[in-house]
Amino acid sequence: MIRSLIAVALVGLSALAVATFPRSVLVFLLFQGSLLYVFKARMPDPLRWGLLATSLLVLMPTIGYFNSYYLEVATQVGIFVALALGLNIVVGLAGLLDLGYVAFFAVGAYSWAILGSPHANVIFGGETFPLAGWWFYVFLFVGLGTAAITGILLGLPVLRLHGDYLAIVTLGFGEVIRVLANNLDKPINFTNGPKGITPISRPPTPFGIPYGEFFYFLALLIVVAVIVVNRRLEDSHIGRAWEAIREDELAARAMGVSLVRMKLMAFACGASFAGVMGVLFSAKQVFINPESFTFLESIGVLAMVILGGMGSIPGAIVGATVVTVLNLQVLKGFSLWLNELKNAGVTVLGYSLADLPTQFEPAKYERMVFGIILVLMMIFRPQGIFPARRRQRELAK
Amino acid sequence: MPALFEARGVTKRFGGLTALHDVHFAIDQGISSIIGPNGAGKTTLFNIFTGLYGADEGSVTFRDQPLLGLRPDQITALGICRTFQNIRLFANMTAIENVLVGMNSRISLRLWDVLSRSPGFRRTESELAARAVSLLDRVGLQASANIVARNLPYGDRRRLELARALASEPALLLLDEPTAGMTQGEASALMHLLRNLVADLGLAIILIEHNMRVVMEVSDRVTVLDHGEKIAEGPPREVQSDARVIEAYLGKRGAAPRTRGRAAH
Amino acid sequence: MDVDLLIGIFPQVLLDGITLGFMYALIALGYTMVYGVLEFINFAHSEIFIFGAFVGVEVLLGLKSIGLLDGLPWPLVLILALVVGMGASGLLAVTVERIAYRPLRGAPRLIPLISAIGISFFLQDLIRLVESLWRNAFNLVYPTMDVLNLRFELSETIDVSVKSLVVIGGALLMLWALHLIVNRTKVGTAIRAVAEDQAAASLMGIDVNRIISLTFLIGGAMGGAAGVLFGVQYGLINPYSGFIPGLKAFTAAVLGGIGNIPGAMLGGLVLGLLEAFAAAYLSLLTGGAFGAEYKDILAFSMLILILIFRPKGLLGEVVRERA
Repeated sequence: MIRSLIAVALVGLSALAVATFPRSVLVFLLFQGSLLYVFKARMPDPLRWGLLATSLLVLMPTIGYFNSYYLEVATQVGIFVALALGLNIVVGLAGLLDLGYVAFFAVGAYSWAILGSPHANVIFGGETFPLAGWWFYVFLFVGLGTAAITGILLGLPVLRLHGDYLAIVTLGFGEVIRVLANNLDKPINFTNGPKGITPISRPPTPFGIPYGEFFYFLALLIVVAVIVVNRRLEDSHIGRAWEAIREDELAARAMGVSLVRMKLMAFACGASFAGVMGVLFSAKQVFINPESFTFLESIGVLAMVILGGMGSIPGAIVGATVVTVLNLQVLKGFSLWLNELKNAGVTVLGYSLADLPTQFEPAKYERMVFGIILVLMMIFRPQGIFPARRRQRELAK
Repeated sequence: MPALFEARGVTKRFGGLTALHDVHFAIDQGISSIIGPNGAGKTTLFNIFTGLYGADEGSVTFRDQPLLGLRPDQITALGICRTFQNIRLFANMTAIENVLVGMNSRISLRLWDVLSRSPGFRRTESELAARAVSLLDRVGLQASANIVARNLPYGDRRRLELARALASEPALLLLDEPTAGMTQGEASALMHLLRNLVADLGLAIILIEHNMRVVMEVSDRVTVLDHGEKIAEGPPREVQSDARVIEAYLGKRGAAPRTRGRAAH
Repeated sequence: MDVDLLIGIFPQVLLDGITLGFMYALIALGYTMVYGVLEFINFAHSEIFIFGAFVGVEVLLGLKSIGLLDGLPWPLVLILALVVGMGASGLLAVTVERIAYRPLRGAPRLIPLISAIGISFFLQDLIRLVESLWRNAFNLVYPTMDVLNLRFELSETIDVSVKSLVVIGGALLMLWALHLIVNRTKVGTAIRAVAEDQAAASLMGIDVNRIISLTFLIGGAMGGAAGVLFGVQYGLINPYSGFIPGLKAFTAAVLGGIGNIPGAMLGGLVLGLLEAFAAAYLSLLTGGAFGAEYKDILAFSMLILILIFRPKGLLGEVVRERA
């Protein structure tokens, strides 16, 4: 009872705080923390889900209506949650370390970017493109399918490899996709090279919802769908076969698990989530170029999965949220704050901050954040902050 | 009438070493044991039978179907399953999940059934769970169903591996030293269980064993391998007094293997 | 197509390929030695390599600031940079092993690999952080030494810079030294014993941990040397520029047969030549449709193909599998 009250109070107050302070890292973290509290604390289920639904469906968009910055952050969190959940299938469940995961995100993004912008006219000639905005909804599925097929195409040759060799090959594959995106502006201009593609069409929104809210809700919808799919797979013979492969590949084969089928399925499922989000991402950004699909992004998503706990759905969600907020808000916030102190001429222990080198920009240290997360987690808590819990079965007798 | 399972002239080389040379083996029903000193090629034979290794020469058939060249999971689907000498459970999965994985080759659900939770899916899942529980019950592990495999005591892990192998509904079961590390009492109980399986399910079982008491008690036939070659075969009593067998185990001086509890160690 | 041009640049391309190849070979040694002993891909080796380049540039800039860069004989300057770079990279490799890999020995295979990826990223930004605070710049340029830029014309179409000779000579020296250490000393024997069978080696009284540290030290030092030579050859370095050469060098190690020291050298040379020719000829042969940028794709595709079709590599060291 007390916990329920605390939860309601926390959510209410933090939402209010977010509404009051337009760009504060701390209050936004507080808001997310309160959601986490609601998720974990013991309370009646209807209250729990009611609070979560209210926060995500009503409070967040309302805040966003007044302050689009937070909505943007929330949408980005949603995109990364879906990516982390997809990678979680491949790495967490099936135990296949994929270091080129962002390539599938790129495949989805470019599929809509090319056909949903005038750029396709360069390839096909004529004036047919961009496709009308409503095609975007079709392309959510096209992106899903294309990414899944790419996953299978990658999976086929690399199936025989395991462990660290697989990791390196997927890394090589990710680099190949990036180099292609950078250079396929000739002989035929598919990707427009490093200059990227713009303007990418946005779809007509139902009831004329503004785009900020639209992409937020769409990301949320996709995340929910991904969670449902993820859970259903996990609780089935497919999920069990993946875990068996992760635990002992040889024993799994001897018990009748078809490695080829199951690994391909893991690659395809993981890739498809990234593909859908890629389509959403390209429409939301209006502009994409290869910079968004680097090895750094792949490792970022990996860090999210590792931080939360490999094989754990809540873990992937929390991991994605924490890492995204850390990058988007904490590092940048620290940069801004430091700049303000510098400009104010503050001195610390006799050292004037104004003397700080200009090249020292805390916002640029994403890699260090990812690196520290990966190393510390591996050494001290390889199972992650929210380890996957074994399902306890009711045994009818 | 061809045998249920038959290997002819199986030869396997690793580099310069001939691990198996022209081995013939057949089983139709009951329990047949393969014995021999360490390094005689027993586990290699199992690995060939279950598709983990290829063979350099020879043929292996099951219900008249050739097995060489098939993948392990295809062989399991045909009805042959095994356990491992150094227990290979899925360590971080629960006992019942281990058994459920064993049923994989008997599940015909499609991806769509899983994603939509179709009625067929629900029915199959509850049937599988019920069967898994009854299998655990059979090996005496029902109370441990929700325990993660790596936390089970040693003897339980051996029995769980047996339950997992049974889950694939095999007609032929290959057990690689199932009593290793067990007390004599536990070993006897397990043998009793195996006998029951043969009687109830009509299973054929091939056993690799070092525990001679177990072998003599439970086997219908015994095959002896030494340095990759079959040196004797027949009912336990006959094999026991075969001069070549005694020599293989004890060198030229020796007494019968029976006088030593666990001959090969 | 201008056939005369294609033939004319051939010797020059060959020379560039060899220079690049020796560089890859030196870096590849670090991967291959560690893999031989621990069956583990030291993902952070590319940063250990670029760390050597940074230490080297600091030595040269330091000498420059006290006016000794031109005061000392140039071979001495280079040797100084090389030795300090090697020492620093070697120590960094040992430290990394102690902190981030040793506690994870015996864990499932992916765990130390993920830790290594983390270290790799961490080191990139750490170098950036330190250089930003220290020099207010993290893209650093190797100070020019006039001697190095001298070129000898061998013919009309081919000339050799002193730089290339220094790189090739330096690399050969390192490879020879390594060969002596591994094959002619007690330590080398111990390293090979540990690579063969850790348990047996420790039963024979070999301190396995010490040998593993030593392997990292030697592999790291080779990487550091490669870093300094890389800086001398190409001039501009930044904390992230180790990554791609690292990946290529890993490809070279796999190509030669990972765990196999002569294989790493062979793999490095093959890859270096392949890349140099791809860079020079792809654009010419395809009429500009595919440019030199595709040399990366070529290298990675090669990595993928070798791993799939001939994981033992050219020289066929057996890749053991932990069951």
